[in-house]
Amino acid sequence: MKKAIIVLTLLLSVLSLSAADNGIVTVYMPSPAGLANKLAADFEAKTGIEVRTFQGTTGEILARLETEKANPVADVVILASWSDGLSMKNSGQLESYVPKNADKMVPGWIDSDSTLFGYSASAVGVIYNTLIYTELNADWAELADSQYKNDIAIPDPELSGACKDFVSGYVNAFGWDTFEALAENGMIVPGANKAALEAVTTGEVGILLAGVDYNAYSSIAKGEPLAIYYPASGTVVNPRPAMIMKAAPDMDNAKAFIDYLLSDDAQKMVTDAYLLPGRTDIEYSNRSTLDQIPQIECDWDAMMAIASDSAARINELCER
Amino acid sequence: MNGKKTATYILIAFLAFLILCPLISIFAEAIFQDGHFSISNAVATITESENAKMIGSSLLLGVLVVIVSSIIALPLAYLFSRTTLARYRFFDIIFMIPFMTPPYIASMGWILFMQKRGLMQQLFPDLSFISDLFFSLAGLVLVMSFHVFPFMMTMMKNAMLSVPSSLDEAGAVLGAPFTVRIRKLLMPLLTGNYAIGALLVFVKTISEYGTPSTLGRRIGFDVFTTDIHRYATVAPIEFGKSASLASVLVGICLLIWLMQNYITMRKTYSLVGGKGGAVRLRKLSRPAFIAALAFIAIAVFFSMIIPLFSVTISSLIKLRGYGMRAGNYTIANYINVFTEDKQGVNAFLVSIFLAVSSATIASILGTIAVTISRINGKNLRKTIEGISLLPEMLPSIVLVLGIMLFYNSIYKMIPIYGTIWIMVLSYVVLFLPYTVQYVTSSYSQISPSLVAAGRISGGTPGYVFLHITLPLISRGIMSGWMMTFIIAFRELVTPSLIAPTNTLTVSTYINRQFEQGSVGKGMAMAVICILFSTVSLLILNKAILREKH
Repeated sequence: MKKAIIVLTLLLSVLSLSAADNGIVTVYMPSPAGLANKLAADFEAKTGIEVRTFQGTTGEILARLETEKANPVADVVILASWSDGLSMKNSGQLESYVPKNADKMVPGWIDSDSTLFGYSASAVGVIYNTLIYTELNADWAELADSQYKNDIAIPDPELSGACKDFVSGYVNAFGWDTFEALAENGMIVPGANKAALEAVTTGEVGILLAGVDYNAYSSIAKGEPLAIYYPASGTVVNPRPAMIMKAAPDMDNAKAFIDYLLSDDAQKMVTDAYLLPGRTDIEYSNRSTLDQIPQIECDWDAMMAIASDSAARINELCER
Repeated sequence: MNGKKTATYILIAFLAFLILCPLISIFAEAIFQDGHFSISNAVATITESENAKMIGSSLLLGVLVVIVSSIIALPLAYLFSRTTLARYRFFDIIFMIPFMTPPYIASMGWILFMQKRGLMQQLFPDLSFISDLFFSLAGLVLVMSFHVFPFMMTMMKNAMLSVPSSLDEAGAVLGAPFTVRIRKLLMPLLTGNYAIGALLVFVKTISEYGTPSTLGRRIGFDVFTTDIHRYATVAPIEFGKSASLASVLVGICLLIWLMQNYITMRKTYSLVGGKGGAVRLRKLSRPAFIAALAFIAIAVFFSMIIPLFSVTISSLIKLRGYGMRAGNYTIANYINVFTEDKQGVNAFLVSIFLAVSSATIASILGTIAVTISRINGKNLRKTIEGISLLPEMLPSIVLVLGIMLFYNSIYKMIPIYGTIWIMVLSYVVLFLPYTVQYVTSSYSQISPSLVAAGRISGGTPGYVFLHITLPLISRGIMSGWMMTFIIAFRELVTPSLIAPTNTLTVSTYINRQFEQGSVGKGMAMAVICILFSTVSLLILNKAILREKH
């Protein structure tokens, strides 16, 4: 018995300590977990560099970076919110680099100082349960109508970067009236993106506002009774910035990882995960294309300024 | 004996470093601001209206859970100690099940069962009004009471077993009816025990993180543990606030332990010893027997069947949108946990590694601590016991926060922050009290004359320890190892605060899948976790029994 335990302990400690040959790169990235794991595995296979990932929501990743300020660990950070990426840049945490294939990127998905690389993007839409609503195409403001009372939800914008950018973009363009009316109509905040999608999938609510589209597309492909549309007054398409930390312990590997994210193979994986690719020359047919999505005019600097407060305000409004 | 002294002081210093330093870091973080002593920040945090409200609701939750779990536990304790139902030993095993089900899993089960258009509404659409009632403080109190009541039940059962029936018979002979005998005889004799049980349940409730972090978050009910966790993990990070709240919680817990000590000394009666101590089991009348069985069935139904049913069914559902209906069941979730990516397998291995290594280290350290404490005088012995049992008296989230702050500050000297070793260390600190208690109790069963006989026959102290003492306490060590292994395997607080990158445990895997991934996969892992704990308990139990022969 005792011997078996000792052997097991040794075995596991060896397992947990084994390092790869060509060094490591530590990447913090948000969901979808499937994509994150595939990108890491493929990069490892191609370069021999071990990828250590921390996966969490945008909120958790930012918290982790703050905790580790004294002893930096992360080389590359990917967020689901462009405005959070901009605020990291403004606080001087990012390294500038011109990656391969930068010229093929969607205009505006790389910032002027070449520190934020929007290697993929998502948009938020209205996701509804088709067992409850057979057809729906109401605009954002129309969902405050009493026929949807207590049947609407929104992801927690303090946890979901995509939802946060939508809220700040919408408020910046149209003000607070719609959200106040929606909250008045019984809108709930079930949690981060996936928890919110779960609520509409199981029918806890019939309609999810500002749900990220790639989650919906992948659930629909599995056969869940869901549908998604982008309301006519427009939504926010938000590039998901990958960034190199100035304090990166493995700078060269970090740059190699960014190059990899913009490579053909990685971009293919991005579209397979139902995200919008960061390059204009990648073809995809499993979801609405970028030009099919009605967009709100985005002033990212103005949005960044109000993003955190707006996110907190949504939670206050919806608290019952 | 100089060697003895040296060993003792090294041990005390080591335990202090392991357990006291993290605690001191918390107080320091709470009252030092940018290197300046300032108690005003801590006071400001505590009196902030939001936090004051949270402290109020934590205490309220504790009180309500004590009341509800008493209502469940007291009748059961009576039935299983003083009536013929006590003969059915299998009830002891059944009421172990809530303990084998980690609280976070049970509350996920309850959420899946109760949520709008959830399992209950699919089975009984007419009961939908219950859902709204459930997602409130009432539901939280119920779920926590159903988890914690077996502790109170066991304590009260043992207390009632020690009240000899002769006292009750004397009352009956003198003409007191049943209700009067309960009120005037049994109750006064048991108040002390009940007070201790109630305080224990109260401390357990305000220290609990699993249920408030799943169900409590759902209904927006913040308590100490969830706020401490939030300030320490969600941007913007505020360790000062987290530490201030942790300090208050430590204060409350220590106060309650003092109260409990006082009651133990003043209010418990010595009923064991002397003649006529036997408990004669009362035979219940037929209606009473049926009512008793119904009560047991209800307790079992709510504390076990609902959460376990809900977790198991959810792990078998293919498309969540269609819920429970023919053709929508699959075992794919179980396969996906281990094949879809490396996370599931890794989480499982990491949990086993942590459980085995921390149980082993804690057993060795605990045995050394108890052995050294026993060759010392009363004061040093109390010091060693006091420090090593401290982690049990405090909420684990407080200790883990302390470990996080302490090892972050001494990173330059001991760089284990952000590695798996800080988790091993944290587990050892949290679970050391289990081994210490088990080893202490098996030591107390060894007659001193055995050791004396060994010494007279010419054995050196080392020889006597190895060949007489160690074999005799080995069962205690093994039981402690087993307890630690099972609890460590599903520990949630440590990994959710200080797990390094890339490292998920079974508990954080379940949590993550439940919150942000596939509920089916999360629940599949939950079922595996419950089965694994139960099976390892059975296997280890058998192994220990065999060693005994």
